[in-house]
Amino acid sequence: MMEAERVVSQYPAQYEKTAASLAGQSVAWLQSIRQKALASFSESGFPSLRDEEWRYTNVSAIEKKLFSPAVQDEIGAVDVSWLNTYRLENAWTIVLVDGYFSEALSNLAGLPDDVQVLSMANALEQCPNDLKNYFGQAVNDELHGFIAFNSAWFTDGLFVHVPTEHVLAKPVHIIHVATQAGYMANTRNIVAVDGMAKAELVETFIGCDEAYLSSAVTEVFVGKNADLSISKLQVEGDKAYHFGGTYVVQEDNARFEHHNFCFGGLLARNDIHTDLGLASECDLNGLYLGVKRQHIDNHTRINHLKAHAQSKELYKGVLNQRARGVFQGRVLVAEQAQKTSSEMNNRNLLLSNDAEADTKPQLEIYADDVKCAHGVTVGQLDEKSIFYLQSRCIDEETARNMLTFAFANEMVEKVKNKDLHDQVLQQLLERFPQSGIEQEWL
Amino acid sequence: MLSIKNLHVSVGDKPILKGVNLEIKAGEVHAIMGPNGAGKSTLSHILSGKSGYTITEGSVTYQGKDLLEMDPEIRAREGIFLAFQYPVEIPGVSNIYLLKAALNAIRTHNGLAEVDAFDFLKIVKGKVKLLEMDEQFLYRSVNEGFSGGEKKRNEILQAAILEPSMCILDETDSGLDIDALKVVAAGVNSLRAADRSFLMITHYQRLLDYIKPDIVHVLADGRIVKTAGPELALELEAKGYSWVEEQVA
Amino acid sequence: MSSSEQEIDSLIGQKYKEGFVTEIEVDTFPPGLDEEVIAKLSAIKGEPEFMLDYRLKAFRHWQTMSEPNWAQLNIEPIDYQSISYYSAPKKDSDKPQSLDEIDPELLETYKKLGIPLDEQERLAGVAVDAVFDSVSVATTFKGKLHDAGVIFCPISEALKEHPELVKQYLGTVVPETDNFFAALNAAVFTDGSFVYIPKGVRCPMELSTYFRINAANTGQFERTLIIADEGSHVSYLEGCTAPMRDENQLHAAVVELVAMDDAEIKYSTVQNWYPGDENGVGGIYNFVTKRAECRGANSKVSWTQVETGSAITWKYPSCILLGDNSVGEFYSVALTNNYQQADTGTKMIHIGKNTRSTIISKGISAGKSQNTYRGLVRVGKNADNARNYTQCDSLLVGDKCGAHTFPYVEVKQPSAQVEHEATTSKISEDQLFFCQQRGLSAEDAVSMIVNGFCKQVFKELPMEFAVEAQALLGLSLEGSVG
Repeated sequence: MMEAERVVSQYPAQYEKTAASLAGQSVAWLQSIRQKALASFSESGFPSLRDEEWRYTNVSAIEKKLFSPAVQDEIGAVDVSWLNTYRLENAWTIVLVDGYFSEALSNLAGLPDDVQVLSMANALEQCPNDLKNYFGQAVNDELHGFIAFNSAWFTDGLFVHVPTEHVLAKPVHIIHVATQAGYMANTRNIVAVDGMAKAELVETFIGCDEAYLSSAVTEVFVGKNADLSISKLQVEGDKAYHFGGTYVVQEDNARFEHHNFCFGGLLARNDIHTDLGLASECDLNGLYLGVKRQHIDNHTRINHLKAHAQSKELYKGVLNQRARGVFQGRVLVAEQAQKTSSEMNNRNLLLSNDAEADTKPQLEIYADDVKCAHGVTVGQLDEKSIFYLQSRCIDEETARNMLTFAFANEMVEKVKNKDLHDQVLQQLLERFPQSGIEQEWL
Repeated sequence: MLSIKNLHVSVGDKPILKGVNLEIKAGEVHAIMGPNGAGKSTLSHILSGKSGYTITEGSVTYQGKDLLEMDPEIRAREGIFLAFQYPVEIPGVSNIYLLKAALNAIRTHNGLAEVDAFDFLKIVKGKVKLLEMDEQFLYRSVNEGFSGGEKKRNEILQAAILEPSMCILDETDSGLDIDALKVVAAGVNSLRAADRSFLMITHYQRLLDYIKPDIVHVLADGRIVKTAGPELALELEAKGYSWVEEQVA
Repeated sequence: MSSSEQEIDSLIGQKYKEGFVTEIEVDTFPPGLDEEVIAKLSAIKGEPEFMLDYRLKAFRHWQTMSEPNWAQLNIEPIDYQSISYYSAPKKDSDKPQSLDEIDPELLETYKKLGIPLDEQERLAGVAVDAVFDSVSVATTFKGKLHDAGVIFCPISEALKEHPELVKQYLGTVVPETDNFFAALNAAVFTDGSFVYIPKGVRCPMELSTYFRINAANTGQFERTLIIADEGSHVSYLEGCTAPMRDENQLHAAVVELVAMDDAEIKYSTVQNWYPGDENGVGGIYNFVTKRAECRGANSKVSWTQVETGSAITWKYPSCILLGDNSVGEFYSVALTNNYQQADTGTKMIHIGKNTRSTIISKGISAGKSQNTYRGLVRVGKNADNARNYTQCDSLLVGDKCGAHTFPYVEVKQPSAQVEHEATTSKISEDQLFFCQQRGLSAEDAVSMIVNGFCKQVFKELPMEFAVEAQALLGLSLEGSVG
């Protein structure tokens, strides 16, 4: 039977002129990776609705819009006071504007000597050998077109390396800012936390109100007995396209925690994948809000490759107007991953007749001595809770608003960093898909 | 205070209450006992306004007004308080917020000014001490992570703050050990007043040792079949419910 | 003339004119599939013209399609040209005359499953006139149905006696364009059951394929159509617990159910097609498209199945909930052992208002098998107040098998409540030890625990099936423990 032909992408032609100016020109292994990635993308293009992992998310608009590659000289000015509202009081901050490191806006003062936090471009220049063992090890370009594209054309990013036993005193904060309409920023990040070390990373994505594409691929390596927490606050502009892939490899006894807040963008897709080592742990949390015509897609994958690992996952969605929320929570338990314990939950609230929730919880299990469970709900607030509030004098409409907000707020409450928590809460209040929410409820 | 006349209630096609008559005057403490399935919980749900029931006949008058006409939150604001048998957990809504919102709703309903944060905290802290609870719990989500005993104490704390006129306790003693029971009972007793009435719904007589009722009723097969003083409770304890049913049959 | 026609000609020595057939006595078609084979098939069965048109249309469509490609299944490619698409019913004189002629191992299985003697004879294909009872039972049965106005006969007979009724409903629930196997089935189906329950009639007995009057070999491309008219009620049982062997490896059946206002259809299946030997060789491929349309308001369809056989099972009994207040239910136990592969589940499509669906799926994997649940719950934009509850549990016996759950939940209606839960675990050591400490052997303990695991589904089965199904599970798990 004839296979429908893939649309040949226009992007390679557009982007080849930028190839010579990309970071890491002199790094042979990187050039080789870029070329292979280019070949892969040229063949497959961006994902289509026929790909199982993209069946609910149509990214053809990206091909049509043909976003221009951001060029360093042409970066727009950043409204600094606006940017500052997103800073954390106590953190080492790296700011990437349109995919390029801005030294002026960043702040790495007081960084310990043995901790590496630098822009990817600088790292490729100063210490490319440090990167060699990480690059491409947590994710494969074949996975889908966004990864390959990113490998081929990323301009900059972040490299974080926390050495053995080091407990990072402050979080590392990376702020991605998009300033121009019609441009695409591709950033590649590598975060490596060595054995017994502990670190916290925060990623914030903000941008202008016009259409742009922000694509960030982050490879994360959590060493033996190490502990890493990553929080992501995605509040891109209303017309923005966002792709964020976080691919994690956890060694034995490693602990990884992730908090994913997807509030912005017109079309946003997150991949969060983690490979669990022996007796390691992961805790994935997410909250997505959709209004107007937003399309928000979160695809998570937890691979239990070895025994005794534990995974926990809770993602919640609140969708209003014509928004659409897509979720996949896939858990794979390999044959030797005995004594696995896994729990995955996705809960959705639809607030309008035109909102839609599509969810796929998946279990693929090859070991037998395991305890795996998943649960998914699309539906309404608990009637008993509404009645309880009424019996405590609160009228029905207010009770519903309170419970809807509480539903979402539960995910914000899990953020331990107070500064970040307050920021996320503020965003939640401003953007909540339902009106009538009172600040004082908190 | 409360007047229930010939109340018939069904769930779907099944009749549960088959003509309940009950009069409660201000300041009185009533107890309703009965075998399982008699309709005790149904009665408390009907009084508090829970949906899912059909009232096929009869009336309920509260302080001269038609209670069955009022929405649940209005009943609450009018002074009816139900201490639930299984209090629900509400993650994300803090105890202190709920209390303040509820108290202010009542005050507004009665034409009073809302209480300010400072005064409110004073009121609350006092009552928290009374019920031997840790102040920190105020900032936790409603009933989240509470043990059975803590949930029941939380219910009585709410009653203490909201100062209802008609307080319905639905199997408040279920799931409590003796120490928790004493604390809860002390809390309830401290609320006794001439302008406040209590209706305790209970299966076991034990609670009534600590909260002495003025009048005891037996609810069996959807009707109140016997009404007497507190000694009735002791008789039931000794002889069991089937004794009453035989008497009435 | 093609070579197959030449062969037939020489066999029977009769003149053959395309499209016009008188009496042909043919044993078996030679392998191969083309339009001529289909025309001959239709002619031999004496079908009305609309049926031949339908078959040819389906065949032409089938030729444009390709086999479905599910990631979890691992199968050898099927050569559709090497299958024979017609086989005449065996004459009584060719059949075994008594149970003594039957393979003793097969008889042993019947005994273990608790199948009564006369049923054993029927199952083993013992000639009808050698079995007194089945004739009289069949006669009484037919009489009762006739009095109630219920039509229950082979589809081939229905096409002759009630062609208008068949034409009205056939292919309306599963169109020939639906999927590869549905198209193939529509082109070459041999026979199956036709059931019509008239308005307001409660079918006086459970309809079972045991009592299908036609003794023809209908197994391979079976087609069933059940229509429950307004206010009617029917319970239909299909299959049997006895292992069914067949020379044909591919089984592609289609079952269509239609429930009108206030009607109810209960469809129960116990399937134990030959699963292949311990090395997975020779088992049957069972690809079935089963779908119900709850067309009327307040209609209800319940699918209950116990699947333990086949080398490969691919089936998703589904309900389209069109009518307001309609209800769809799916209760399933799927057990795989040795090298079996099952990819089964259900689709509940909520379209009308206040519709409800319940899915209880219990998967048991043992040996080196792969057991996959694949389900879809879709709530359309106008399906106000839709309710779904899904519970998928998997039990793993042994560490070389796989249990997978791939549900899809798509909701477009804010007043809907959809809840899906799944768990995967193994029989705990504690449970096993407890049973053993009470005197049960490990195998009996496993059997008991597995039955407990499946209780929610077993209680939906008609009683005669339930008892056999429990025995069947025990038998199928033999050798998987220890």
